[in-house]
Amino acid sequence: MHPYRYHRPGSLAEAEEVLAGDGDPRPLAGGMSLIPVMKHRLAAPSDLVDLAAIGGLTGITVEPATLGIRAMTRHAAVAASPSVRERIPALAALAGGIGDPLVRNRGTIGGSLANNDPAACYPSAVLALDAEIVTAGRRIPADNFFLGLFETALEPGELIVEVRFPVPAAASYRKFPNPASRFSVVGVFVARLADGAVRVAVTGAGPCVFRVKAFERALAASFAPGALADLSVAADGLTSDIHGSAAYRAHLIGVLAEDAVADCA
Amino acid sequence: MYFGQRLTRREDDKFLKGRGRFVDDIEPAGTAHIAFVRSPHAHARIRGIDAAPARALPGVLRVLTAADWQAAGLGALTCVHPMPFSDGRPMNEELRPALASGKVHHVGDVVAAVVAEDRYAALDGADAVAVDYEALPAVTDIARSLDEDAPVLHQRFGSNLVFEIERGDRAATAAVFDAAHHVVALTLDTHRVAGCPLEPRAYLSRFDEATEDITLWATSQTPHYLRRWLAKYALGVPEHKLRVISPDVGGGFGLKTHFAVEVSTVVWASILLGRPVKWTSTRAEALMSDAQARDHHTRARMAFDRDGRILALEVDTIAALGAYLSNFAPSIPGNSYPQTVTGLYTTPNLHLRVRGAYTNTVPIDAYRGSGRPEATFVNERLLENGARELGIDVAEIRRRNLIPAEAFPYTTPVGRAYDCGDPPALFDKLLEIAGYEGLRAEQRRLGDRGVRMGIGIACFLDKSGTGSSRNLASRGGLHGGYESAIVRIHSDGRATVFVGSHSHGQGHDTTFCQIAADRLGLPIEDIALVEGDTGSIPFGNGTWGSRSLSVGGVAIMQAADRVIDKARRLAAHMLECAEEDLLYENAVFSVRGTDRLLGFADVADAAYHGAVLPADGSMEPGLEETVFYEPPDTNDPQAMHLAVVLVEPRSGKVTVRDYFTADDCGNIVNPLIVEGQVVGGLAQGLGQALMERVVYDGGAAGQLFSGTLMDYALPRASDMPGVRMTFQETPAPSNPLGVKGGSETGTIGAPAAIGNAVVDALWDLGVRHVRQPFTPDAVWHSLEDAAG
Ligand SMILES: Cc1cc2nc3c(=O)[nH]c(=O)nc-3n(C[C@H](O)[C@H](O)[C@H](O)COP(=O)(O)OP(=O)(O)OC[C@H]3O[C@@H](n4cnc5c(N)ncnc54)[C@H](O)[C@@H]3O)c2cc1C
Repeated sequence: MHPYRYHRPGSLAEAEEVLAGDGDPRPLAGGMSLIPVMKHRLAAPSDLVDLAAIGGLTGITVEPATLGIRAMTRHAAVAASPSVRERIPALAALAGGIGDPLVRNRGTIGGSLANNDPAACYPSAVLALDAEIVTAGRRIPADNFFLGLFETALEPGELIVEVRFPVPAAASYRKFPNPASRFSVVGVFVARLADGAVRVAVTGAGPCVFRVKAFERALAASFAPGALADLSVAADGLTSDIHGSAAYRAHLIGVLAEDAVADCA
Repeated sequence: MYFGQRLTRREDDKFLKGRGRFVDDIEPAGTAHIAFVRSPHAHARIRGIDAAPARALPGVLRVLTAADWQAAGLGALTCVHPMPFSDGRPMNEELRPALASGKVHHVGDVVAAVVAEDRYAALDGADAVAVDYEALPAVTDIARSLDEDAPVLHQRFGSNLVFEIERGDRAATAAVFDAAHHVVALTLDTHRVAGCPLEPRAYLSRFDEATEDITLWATSQTPHYLRRWLAKYALGVPEHKLRVISPDVGGGFGLKTHFAVEVSTVVWASILLGRPVKWTSTRAEALMSDAQARDHHTRARMAFDRDGRILALEVDTIAALGAYLSNFAPSIPGNSYPQTVTGLYTTPNLHLRVRGAYTNTVPIDAYRGSGRPEATFVNERLLENGARELGIDVAEIRRRNLIPAEAFPYTTPVGRAYDCGDPPALFDKLLEIAGYEGLRAEQRRLGDRGVRMGIGIACFLDKSGTGSSRNLASRGGLHGGYESAIVRIHSDGRATVFVGSHSHGQGHDTTFCQIAADRLGLPIEDIALVEGDTGSIPFGNGTWGSRSLSVGGVAIMQAADRVIDKARRLAAHMLECAEEDLLYENAVFSVRGTDRLLGFADVADAAYHGAVLPADGSMEPGLEETVFYEPPDTNDPQAMHLAVVLVEPRSGKVTVRDYFTADDCGNIVNPLIVEGQVVGGLAQGLGQALMERVVYDGGAAGQLFSGTLMDYALPRASDMPGVRMTFQETPAPSNPLGVKGGSETGTIGAPAAIGNAVVDALWDLGVRHVRQPFTPDAVWHSLEDAAG
């Protein structure tokens, strides 16, 4: 690890001030992604702005048709939340399946989304549920948030404060875990929204989370596993790595999507 | 009697409470730290090294490169088990350099070392060393290593061939294949894995400027070897000025035996700077520098008669040795592998060719099982495919081929004699605890419901004890096979046992003291064990090859017996009786038929006081004995595994549901510890079978893909099936304790048993083989291939 200055601001405004400063300041949430890259000396921020002491950045709010999760809410808290379990059980299950207990007790939803790891779980939920990313200054729809490999619509220094999930009619997340890290080799989030729209988001399989429109159309016509029987995702452009070839990942997307649809029945 | 008791491990209390003392816990005042500059290339020419920017950094004390090493006239690391060609030519030996010069040959190869005031300054210094590389094409795939157009690592040999050996009879075997009723042929690769002990390697060297003594604290399974190698081969320091201490060590599995690349530089730097110097490996460094294992490319055939009797085995293997030869590397494919490849069957004909080869990868060396997992995979996969093709049940075909008890000692086609055993009886025990017939019925029932269950078996031989020294030498070894022990009785009658082996998880403090307590007639609480310090222990060959108990345990037993002999003579003198009239029980000598008694502690007290010894000087004072025990032979533990797997054909996912083991590791001193060793080995074997895999890109770049534990998959508790174990105790004839090695069978059998089970589950879909490890991706691709 290289030397850096550590800050622990008590308010968003203070945090934003440090983040707007010179050098290469970075927000620190759970540190589950950022600290390991710093230890490997692959990242060397000049300043770490710990978000942990900022009031109002944790917790889950329940509105009639929406669930709001504040950015610093830990995965373990989402997994255990009765409100999440009742309204979007697939989201609670997703959070409960991230990494291991240590990671879940430290890692946050805001950190996960800002990081946009290609194998992270949350991005698929945000995209499939058509959630909104709330920052200090704006609201970013899911479809505009995830731009590419570790790339999001966030401006430098812009902080996620909340994620707002519309409560769906039905949803399920199916993940095939990487045996080493427990990230997804492929994760498929299927959601039937309150208005009847169906969205299918895939993580782990490519450089960035993506929707499978062909599956969505078929499922909008008939929301049953059989609807996907004749469909497949092309392997072109998908990830090939030591945990699975592109062809295998393409195949898994179909398998997991079918299973997720079956879960929703 | 403590022998045979399930004592809980005495050493665990301190470990569970975090009170172990490991190398990294030790930090004398003024310790400097070292960081290594490692090659990012698999193969490259070093055009220049500019250390000036590093030297200019605050806190940097010294930068060392190959040029400094050569200028200091230092030697080389060593390979203590060479393997000549079958025609007697010496192997093509390229030793691992402490600091690479001219070229680098694998990702992680050490190019320079930076010594600094603290770890951070050392790492900054290492980043600042500018190395100018000219990248060269690399070969990391063992199957391609000997191709005409493969990049050659060490030009002076003209190819990547290290050695080529043939065993058995080529012509006779070929003739049997030509006439055989049935032949099975498969490509049976065993992939490369990394050892991954919990505690990474660490070294701390302190040079005392007043006495010029060097003390090295090292994570070593073999502290005396390390001292000898440093003194004799690498640094030329006198052995009596170098003390190696291996304190608590958190796992080794073989890779803490080897003469690792970093250690000599750490010691050398401490001499140069006149202060303590320390290096503790990170996990990422471990995955690119600790010796790795397996990595065989094998084509093999097995010939059967119409009743399923094995007629012949033919094996052609290219075995990776990595970029350089590590200590024992050539002997693994050269000795262990051929000696165990026919396993527990009466295979009458064998032809085997093994070619050792260099690739641009981390050097290979011994890792739990070394050579036997690769051999067992070949033998057992061929046998089960043969059984299915012949329509014979896989249990039945084994009954027809297992070596019968009366055939022992049994000599194999490579001339190796197995000492003792009763494989058919062991096999019956395995099938009984597994409920084999019931499992087959369940498999049919589940199959009717579309659930794919597979049952796989592996029967195999371990090979432990490694002695005698003469035997080892006849197979090329430049190291001994004996073990040393001192049993020292203190003047209060309590004992300290010193032994040349080294426990790093095996429970020696318990097992060895059980033996000493029995022989000395003392309560185990009165005995302490000391291992891992060349300053207080006579030269020992350390812990590897499952040798500690059958060699070191016997040394302890003999030293204890000699102590009691002397105590008896002294007691007879003190009680004024004949030795034959003395009884010794529960630490008390008594004169038969009288009420005269003398406690062992009183005898010890007298031995150290010295005044009451026989006046004629026929007895020396003190009560301590040293033994160097040379075992007459190795021993041959045997084991059998049965794995039950569930395979999901849609995703290719394999779950090992149940696991059954039957071990014959001779007499068992402590069943609890042996069971722990079986399960621990099994976890590593299951890891190898299902998920662990060192991966290089395979192309010309030779990059390492499995560089952290985020990609190198280690099994977790939740991956482990329920395990049921049974044991058969056939006493080893070659040692008076009747013990054999008991800690490597888990890694040896699991890939074969699990592999057989996976193929069993998918046989009717046309799958004949799945490449290791049996990841979902691999299983799915096999299904796709089978579907055509
Ligand atoms: C062993 C292991 C296993 C894992 N397994 C999984 C898994 O199965 N599924 C999965 O989805 N993830 C997994 N993760 C990742 C984990 O969920 C991380 O917690 C997450 O990716 C990052 O969250 P964090 O709070 O730790 O963020 P940090 O590491 O603190 O930060 C990550 C990045 O986000 C930025 N950031 C943090 N908070 C904000 C904010 N509010 N606004 C703007 N930028 C911000 C930081 O500056 C940094 O660049 C795993 C991680 C590990 C170490």
